[in-house]
Amino acid sequence: MGKVIVVTSGKGGVGKTTSTANLGTALALIGKTVAVVDADVGLRNLDVVMGLESRIIYTSMDVIEKQCELQKALVRDRRVEGLMLLAASQKNDKDDIQPEQMKSICQRLTVNYDFVLVDSPAGIERGFQNAAAGAEEAIIVTTPDVSAIRDADRIIGLLQNARVEPINLVLNRFSPDLVKSGNMLDKSDVLDILNIELLGIIPEDEAVIASTNRGIPLVHSTSSSAAQAYMRIARRLSGQQIPIPDLHAKNFFSGIMEWFSRKR
Amino acid sequence: MAHPIVTLRAYGDGLRLIIRPNLSITEIEEAIQQELARMNPPLSETSVQIDMRAPVLTDKELERLKTKLQKTYNLQTREVASPDETAAPVVVAAPATHTISQTLMLSHNESSEQSRIVPQTIRSGQTEDFPQGSLIIYGDVNQGAEVRAGGDVIVLGALRGSAHAGTNGRLSAVVIAMELVPLHLQIGNYINPPLLGQKSRGYPEIAHIGSKDIIVVERFVKF
Ligand SMILES: Nc1ncnc2c1ncn2[C@@H]1O[C@H](COP(=O)(O)OP(=O)(O)OP(=O)(O)O)[C@@H](O)[C@H]1O
Ligand SMILES: [Mg+2]
Repeated sequence: MGKVIVVTSGKGGVGKTTSTANLGTALALIGKTVAVVDADVGLRNLDVVMGLESRIIYTSMDVIEKQCELQKALVRDRRVEGLMLLAASQKNDKDDIQPEQMKSICQRLTVNYDFVLVDSPAGIERGFQNAAAGAEEAIIVTTPDVSAIRDADRIIGLLQNARVEPINLVLNRFSPDLVKSGNMLDKSDVLDILNIELLGIIPEDEAVIASTNRGIPLVHSTSSSAAQAYMRIARRLSGQQIPIPDLHAKNFFSGIMEWFSRKR
Repeated sequence: MAHPIVTLRAYGDGLRLIIRPNLSITEIEEAIQQELARMNPPLSETSVQIDMRAPVLTDKELERLKTKLQKTYNLQTREVASPDETAAPVVVAAPATHTISQTLMLSHNESSEQSRIVPQTIRSGQTEDFPQGSLIIYGDVNQGAEVRAGGDVIVLGALRGSAHAGTNGRLSAVVIAMELVPLHLQIGNYINPPLLGQKSRGYPEIAHIGSKDIIVVERFVKF
C-alpha cells in the first residue's frame, strides 16, 4: 500500500505544480511507482508541465462519472518507468467534484503505487478540500515572503485539524543573495513561524522556467541546482536520511567574512 | 520598515519620547505633533524623558524642543538620555503606546476566573476565545491568528497576531509573551495602534494598563 501526499500552499503560483511534477519524476527515477494527480480542476496544468498534455484522453471526472476505468484514465510517462498521471478535467468546475470522490480515487491508487502525489489548486476552498480529502501526509510549498507564509500557516492549521500528519515544508525560490542583502526572509525565520519539518530548499533557478516551457521536468537532467534539490527531497520522502545543505550566497570571500563575524 | 520618527512609549518610570537619529528639528517637531494628536484623551501635565540613540539635536535645538513640549503640550522634560549612555535600552522598534480611554467598571472578581490551556500554536485564521478567564498558550500565536480572553493572555512562545485580554472589561488583565510582537494588542477597551514590522527584543514582555492610562509594555520578570 502506498501513501497519498497532497502538495499544497494556500497562495497561488509558489511552485506546487512544479514541485509535484519534479518530485513525482524524481521518485520514479529512484525506483518508486508513482501516480501524480492533478486536482486543479478547470485550470489543469500538471499535464503541461510534465509534457503529457497531448496524450490525455480521460480525466478524473470521467472516472467519477464512470465513463472509464481508473487504470485506463492514467497516462504513462514514457521517459521513466513507473510514473503515471491522472489529469483534471478542464471543462468542469471544482464544485463538480466531491471530496469523498477524490478520496476514493486516491485510495484506489495506493493499491498499485508507492506514492500518490496530489497537486492542489491555490486557496482554501473546495479545490483544496478535494485535493486534501484523501491525503495522509502533506507537502507545503512556500516562497520566503510574508504573504505566502501567512497562507501556508493557514493551510497548516486546516490540515492539522484534519489530522494530516506529517506536514513537511518545501521552501521554494530561495535566494541566498537576497537573504544576505536583507531583502528576503531566511530559512530560520520561515521555520520559526511555520514550525514544521523542513523537507528541502529549492533555489530560485532559471532552469525551472525553461523546463516548465519545454514540458520536461528538471530532474531528467541533474545539472541544475534545483534538480539536485528535488532529487534530495525525493530520497528523503523514500525514507533515506539526507542532510539539507545550506545554500550560500555567490561570493566565496563574503561567505568567509560572514563566518568570522558570526563567530564573534 | 522604517521606524517612526518619534515614538512615545511608557515605561515603569514614566513616558519616554524616542527620537530617530539624523533628522532635522522641523521634522521632529512635526512628528511629535502628529504623535500627540493621536492621543485620546490628550496627554498633558505629565513628564517625558527624551531618548535619542544617536546625536540628533544640538543643545540649542534641544532647549527649543523642551520649551515647546512645555508650552504647547504641557509636558515636562524629566531628563534627556544621552546617546553615549551604553546602558540605554534599544527601544526604537518597541511598541508605541496609545489609549482610547473610557471609564470602565472593574466587573470581574479575579479569583473566580478559570483558565484554559491551549497545547499548540494558534495559526493564521484560527481564533481562541475564552471569556470565562485566562488563556495560556503553549506555542505561538501567528500573524492572522487571534486570541481573546476575559482574563489574562499568556503566550509561552511568540505573540505575532492579535491578542485581546480583559474582554469582560477587567482592566487589570495583562498580556505576557516570550516574544511580544503583536499586530494588534488590546486590553479591555484600550487599544494599541497596529504595529507592523516589529522585531523581537529577545526577552519576555508584559503589556498592561499603566497608571498613565496607556498600555505599558515592559520586560517581564515575575508576577
Ligand atoms: N525555483 C524556481 N525558480 C524559478 N522559477 C520558479 C521556481 N519555482 C517555480 N517557478 C515558476 O513559477 C511559476 C509558478 O509555478 P507553479 O505553476 O509550479 O506554481 P503553482 O503553485 O502550481 O501555481 P498555481 O497556484 O497557479 O497552481 C512557473 O512559471 C514556474 O516556472
Ligand atoms: Mg499549479
